[in-house]
Amino acid sequence: MSYEEVIFYFVAAVTVLGALGVVLTRNVVHSALFLILALLAVAGVFILLSAEFLAIVQILIYGGAVTILILFVMMLTRVRDMPQALDGPQRPFAALAAGAFLVLSVLAALSSDWPGETREITVVPFREMGEALFRDWAVPFEVASLVLLVALIGAIVLARGEEGE
Amino acid sequence: MAIELEHYLILGALLFSIGLYMALAKRNFVGVLMGIEMMFNAVNLTFIAFSRFPRFADMTDAERLSGHVFVIFVITVAAAEAAVALALAMLVYRNRETIDVDRMDLLKW
Amino acid sequence: MDSVNRFGPELILLAMAAVIILADIGWALAGTGAERMRRPALGALALTGTAASIIWSALLIAFDEQGEAFSGMIRVDDFALFFNFLFAGTAAIVILASIDFLRRNRFVAEYYALILASTAGMMLLASTIDLIAIFVALELTGISLYILVAFMKDGRSSEAGLKYLLLGAISSAVALYGMAYLFGITGSTSLDEIGLVVSEANGETRSALVLAMVFLIAGFGFKMAIVPFQMWVPDVYEGAPTPVTAFLSVGSKAAGFAVVMRIFLTALGDGSISSDWATVFAILAAISMSLGNITALVQGNIKRMLGYSSIAQAGTFLIGLAVVAAADPQLLLGTSAVLFFLGTYAFTNLGAFIAVIAISSKIGSDQIADYAGVAKRSPLLALGLTICLLSLTGIPPTAGFIAKVYVFNAAVQADLVWLAIVGVLNSVVAAYYYLRVVLNMYTAEPASEESIQPGYYLGLAMVVAVVGLLVIGIFPSPLLEASEAAARVFG
Repeated sequence: MSYEEVIFYFVAAVTVLGALGVVLTRNVVHSALFLILALLAVAGVFILLSAEFLAIVQILIYGGAVTILILFVMMLTRVRDMPQALDGPQRPFAALAAGAFLVLSVLAALSSDWPGETREITVVPFREMGEALFRDWAVPFEVASLVLLVALIGAIVLARGEEGE
Repeated sequence: MAIELEHYLILGALLFSIGLYMALAKRNFVGVLMGIEMMFNAVNLTFIAFSRFPRFADMTDAERLSGHVFVIFVITVAAAEAAVALALAMLVYRNRETIDVDRMDLLKW
Repeated sequence: MDSVNRFGPELILLAMAAVIILADIGWALAGTGAERMRRPALGALALTGTAASIIWSALLIAFDEQGEAFSGMIRVDDFALFFNFLFAGTAAIVILASIDFLRRNRFVAEYYALILASTAGMMLLASTIDLIAIFVALELTGISLYILVAFMKDGRSSEAGLKYLLLGAISSAVALYGMAYLFGITGSTSLDEIGLVVSEANGETRSALVLAMVFLIAGFGFKMAIVPFQMWVPDVYEGAPTPVTAFLSVGSKAAGFAVVMRIFLTALGDGSISSDWATVFAILAAISMSLGNITALVQGNIKRMLGYSSIAQAGTFLIGLAVVAAADPQLLLGTSAVLFFLGTYAFTNLGAFIAVIAISSKIGSDQIADYAGVAKRSPLLALGLTICLLSLTGIPPTAGFIAKVYVFNAAVQADLVWLAIVGVLNSVVAAYYYLRVVLNMYTAEPASEESIQPGYYLGLAMVVAVVGLLVIGIFPSPLLEASEAAARVFG
């Protein structure tokens, strides 16, 4: 096995096992910790795919911000006191839907004729990425900033009480 | 056997399905949110895999970059969505002292 | 400047949203003296924004300022302009209907700003031709709506918001997965480019393409609220503040159809794949109509009933999409039928929800049983609601009648006679529960004799909606021509 294969199978295994850990643990806090593991492993996959910048972003935002946010809410809402990361009654339906999606996508991925290694792969340069972001995708970029603004306004509206009218 | 596009696509599909199962099966709000985050990650993984193995040999760098740019937007928007979700969860919790999706029996499924 | 000009309708709404937030801060600084004027003034600002946006769209037509903007990100054509008018008009009516409703809410400015931001997102969804921009616009619309649904902040409203957000995020992820495959198959995020590559493909990626199609339908089916992606509808419609429910049932649904038409007719319009999705849409149309109508029959809450009825209506729109796959002339007929139906449905459903706002806020109940004898307490409101319900049923001379005839005719022309028959049978079922409300209002004895007076703004919104649907019912040709022009974009 080449180095690439060894590394791929290692990160892939960590990703899938981490994800399974999130689903199967009964304790919500442990679930969140498994989630961090899975998301960091995804960052490893990004590096394998020579997307270094996105690997960094992944670690910062998912490994950091999002999971911390989730842990905060657990703390504030005392979810952790309730041992109910358990599955709900809609479990058979969920298993059916997820299974169907899995079978469909694996079939589609395998039966399509994808191109192989078409050329030497270079790491995506940060500079070009920045230029593309601000030149070709200026509109989505501006709209994304609006999405963040809307989320900010929404969080304030939802979190503040009605007192002081 | 070298690692091909299919390997990454199947990894993405696995992560996506686990996330989907989690999002649909859990009663706990935080569980559902974690499932959704996994689904978004699977999408990102798929995008980057497709950018790494470009469909056409003559694709320019700019075209290859569109997958990466897409991922940046997905991460940004998903973070915003998570923030709103958590604000909403706090509100529901204040109102009800529970954030089990299932126990929201005021509104039936 | 061309780019900015063409982006004008969205920009005006977003700028006005910012102005409203800043003006609210100004009011806070001005102290309590000016407090009395704050709510009406903020509402007036929001209305001005929508009016300016409509005027700007009209100017774009008048000066023939159509075409692409921002290096192929946005395409302002007849299709986009049609939806600009539809969304801005819907937002204006919803804002009018909200002024009275928000009398005791603290966050009026934020409410209007979110409505405007959401409307701008919907307009962008109809005009953008790039997957990345579509996704971002989708989320701008979605996140604003999640917050608006939870805006009352009581138990029901906040839970409806949370449920809507969670299911919305799942559906976005599913749609994104479809987009990822579309990108992988074609190597581009531009809809034109994708369409080109798809039409040249020689079958080696066909299964992946079908997968992408299925995921896109599943993801956007949520926005369109069609079976089997409808489970959020009744809860969210019931829990949300009623003006927001009206906005959801018209704006959000129309946005879903707009983006589906853009993607499927541009990127997946090639004959090799379009017959597949047309079949899927035909089946979903039949299921949505039947399930929506049958469930609506047993509802006691009028908001839930209108929720299920909107699922059935979405099924009827889908007939138009199912028709598209046939030959070229049908392509026009199917698309323009959907557009025309969306236009009439906007007036009809907005009118129905406004009547519900007016009546329910006075009688303090959303139960259909409590609507007994409303005709004696407020003849005009009852008449307005009756006209809207007749239009939803599809009885002349209302707009709904012409829309239904148009869609069923399109189905028959495309040899989908079975679908037209299912549609007609469903209209009969629907007539039963719509007319039950009407009968209840006119024949039952009222619980009290106290008359119901809608507020001035609410009354105005009601008049606009009802007059609109009657005018379309009697003079349908302007809207018909507009929807045919918009459909020609894909011709």
